[in-house]
Amino acid sequence: MDSRAEVGAIDARALLTQAEKGASLWSDAGRRLAKNRLAVAGVVVLACVFVFAAIGPFASPYSYDGQDRENRFAPPSGAHWFGTDNLGRDLLVRTMVGGRVSLMVGLAATAVSLVIGVLYGATAGFVGGRLDQAMMRVVDVLYTLPFTIFAIILVTYSGQSIVLVFVAIGAVEWLTMARIVRGQIMSLREKEFVDAAVVMGLSRRRILLRHLIPNALGPIIVFVTLTVPRVMLLEAFLSYLGLGVQAPMSSWGSLIREGTLAMEEYPWLLIFPSLALSLTLFSLNFLGDGLRDALDPRSSKD
Amino acid sequence: MHMTRYVVRQLASFIPVLFVIITLTFFLVRLAPGGPFSSEKALSAEALAQINAHYNLDAPLWRQYVDYLAGLARGDLGPSMKQPSRSVSEWIAYKFPASLELGLYGLLFALCVGLPAGILAAWRPNTWTDQLPMALAMAGICIPNFVLGPLLVYVFSLRLQWLPVAQWDGFAHKILPAVTLGAVYAAYIARLSRAALLDVLSQDFIRTARAKGLSEPRVVLRHALRGGLQPVVSFLGPAAAGIITGSFVVENIFRVPGLGTEFVKAAMNRDYTMILGTVLFFAVLIMLFNLAVDVVQAWLDPRLRHG
Amino acid sequence: MGGDMTASAERLLRVEGLRTSFHTREGVLRAVDDLSFTVDQGRTLGIVGESGSGKSVAMLSLLGLIPMPPGRIEGGRALFGGRDLLRCTARELRRVRGREISMIFQDPMTALNPFMTIGAQLTEPLTVHEGIGRRAARGRAIAALEEVGIQDAEERLRSYPHEFSGGMRQRVMIAMALITRPRLLIADEPTTALDVTVQAQILELIRRLQGELGMAVVLITHDLGVVAAVCEDVVVMYAGRALESASAVGLFAQPRHPYTSALLASLPTLRGRGAELYTIPGMPPDLTEPRAGCPFAPRCEHAAEICGASPVLEETAPGHWTACVRVQRGELPVEALRVAGEDEGLRAP
Repeated sequence: MDSRAEVGAIDARALLTQAEKGASLWSDAGRRLAKNRLAVAGVVVLACVFVFAAIGPFASPYSYDGQDRENRFAPPSGAHWFGTDNLGRDLLVRTMVGGRVSLMVGLAATAVSLVIGVLYGATAGFVGGRLDQAMMRVVDVLYTLPFTIFAIILVTYSGQSIVLVFVAIGAVEWLTMARIVRGQIMSLREKEFVDAAVVMGLSRRRILLRHLIPNALGPIIVFVTLTVPRVMLLEAFLSYLGLGVQAPMSSWGSLIREGTLAMEEYPWLLIFPSLALSLTLFSLNFLGDGLRDALDPRSSKD
Repeated sequence: MHMTRYVVRQLASFIPVLFVIITLTFFLVRLAPGGPFSSEKALSAEALAQINAHYNLDAPLWRQYVDYLAGLARGDLGPSMKQPSRSVSEWIAYKFPASLELGLYGLLFALCVGLPAGILAAWRPNTWTDQLPMALAMAGICIPNFVLGPLLVYVFSLRLQWLPVAQWDGFAHKILPAVTLGAVYAAYIARLSRAALLDVLSQDFIRTARAKGLSEPRVVLRHALRGGLQPVVSFLGPAAAGIITGSFVVENIFRVPGLGTEFVKAAMNRDYTMILGTVLFFAVLIMLFNLAVDVVQAWLDPRLRHG
Repeated sequence: MGGDMTASAERLLRVEGLRTSFHTREGVLRAVDDLSFTVDQGRTLGIVGESGSGKSVAMLSLLGLIPMPPGRIEGGRALFGGRDLLRCTARELRRVRGREISMIFQDPMTALNPFMTIGAQLTEPLTVHEGIGRRAARGRAIAALEEVGIQDAEERLRSYPHEFSGGMRQRVMIAMALITRPRLLIADEPTTALDVTVQAQILELIRRLQGELGMAVVLITHDLGVVAAVCEDVVVMYAGRALESASAVGLFAQPRHPYTSALLASLPTLRGRGAELYTIPGMPPDLTEPRAGCPFAPRCEHAAEICGASPVLEETAPGHWTACVRVQRGELPVEALRVAGEDEGLRAP
């Protein structure tokens, strides 16, 4: 009997290392991603946008709320590369600072949705049975709620606090994440290396955290890269409606709103923030598509 | 037979969900700081008390909640607190048609552009007839409608002067808003239908159809499209709901007198009854769309019909 | 060439030097490499080989059903009714498919369109190829279903594939393939996905209809038992090539290629109970690797230095063609090749 268990454990160990050989899958995926020119361009642009937003404001002689009444609606020039707005504020700096807000909201809200979604989905998928059914029923019900509307209510009532924008958006986006993670865990649970881990006597918690979640990582990463642009879009949408970031603070959405009001005479006010937002969204989407193709071997043969 | 029973069961399941939505919205709106009349400083204390009494706002919260539910049970959404000239139901009936019309045009545009684009792309994958529509679809997803809308206005109304702007009568006024609203959905539909068609085209029964000597158009349109439509149809539920309820921005850009604008105004004004009424109305709409999608899907896929 | 013994029979299909490859990221995979065979009117040819030996790809190539790209037909001829199928336009080929040559596939569960009624799928070849009216097509469809032994045919026309069992679906596939009365039926592992009891019924059905309609059949299979049961001629394929071609009787009586004999030896049904099962050592070759010589040589227990030369099919006995250089040269006496054991082992499954 003992020797049997021993043999089982040896087999199990072999299977586990096999599961951990996922590493080679990752390097394969990395190579495929590096070959995808659009995805690589996306990464480069994202890096530039990040530097632009994070460091840019320090390099500028202007501040985002410094008004210059003499220089209202100045077109792009050597002094003001992006021109100035209705209060003579430098649009370049305002776009950089707006980028901070947009990126921060995008990342933070995605992080919120990631944590909730992964924990919820993984629990449902791993425990299974009645609990799973009940949890997924809750998700189904939440899906039918008009969430954009709730986000609007939340944001108007929160005194337009940015933190609440994070929470509101994160709370909207976790549902799909939960479904994806659950689906992944359910299918992985059937795989042999999980049986192997059970044979070796690992705790359920450890199996879930060390073996299942890492193996479900691919789809999660893809979904995250595709969630960030959606979330940024939602923030921009709220700001556009005047519900998000409040003046004199700026975000890309609020800048675009100001731009549309003056686009007839001063089109640069619309063009630059729109460009910044769209470029970032393009890059994130290309990266997300590239990651999906790279991580899904089925889709990679053509 | 099965379908009728399914629809009835789904309709019944709406009731508890709607109850949850009402309760959630009610307390969310009430417990937050501020109220419909708190910002009107000109009001004397007596006048305020009078108004509060008139709208039942001086009763304990649970009492107000019960009263509201009782009103709902009678089909009464109450009066609008900030625009008392009409009741909430009347406001919805007055403002929704424009939103609905805009939404239908937007959806029509999304389908008429997205579906053919997706089919074209799947026809010869990885050639320019695939890459061009897919690049456009990516643009549709990455350019937000509040950028696209002003851009279209700038080009077609201000520069080219082909189309009028900022009014809501006559078909010509509705083209740009519909395109702006539908663009992102057209993009998603194109991507979804392409992926689904490619998936179906790789299946065995397509090889059977080809082995029968059918022409390529017949293989795609008659044998593959039905399966390829499935994900598009399931996307249409949330999309239709999103288009019709989520046209806030487009209504704002093009000054469409729709319910979306009304809702944002109500949210900012703390018009309690108006917020609750519109949320409820939108929720019912979304659920009905999802149900319609289920039915259409069962009609498309015989395996679901009998199962 | 398998048909040379019956020179009187009319030749229906003659394939010469067919080469099909797939150009993938990993390299060029030569799935079919210089394959030649003939099919005679009204006869049944079995093409036997392991999975990946190129037998299905060869048949799909003839009908232009290879996905291109990545597939590519590099050369060869396929003469059928005075035409070269490999040089037909897409339109000409469509007129052959489903009308003169029909094909049925391995998995009846996935080969029928789940979104269309059986009736719509059955009548499609008729409306496309014969342009007949809906009512007449319906009548033919009912007759076709009855022909393959489906009860309540009229009722069943309105059913969807998921309402049928696997065996019934394969019957529907057969009815659909034969509804235009083709001259050739290509059956690609038609029984592999079915229960054993159903397998025999389907084979019996194909054989019966073949007799009634006088058509030729190419039966692709990896199962020598199936070949023994229904085929008159056999081609043994390995790594995209034909290694042996003979009448079924001749082949089972005396295989003249080491691979065939190894295949026969590894049939579990042919061995006595308790005897150790024979397995061919090694793995089939990687078809993306360039190679010279006999593809089976690395696994062949009779391999010698001479096997480095590329073998071609040669007639080593009347009507019996072999692509083994050592057998051709008489170095390897065929008696040394394992002969299939007791004949009663060769019953149909």
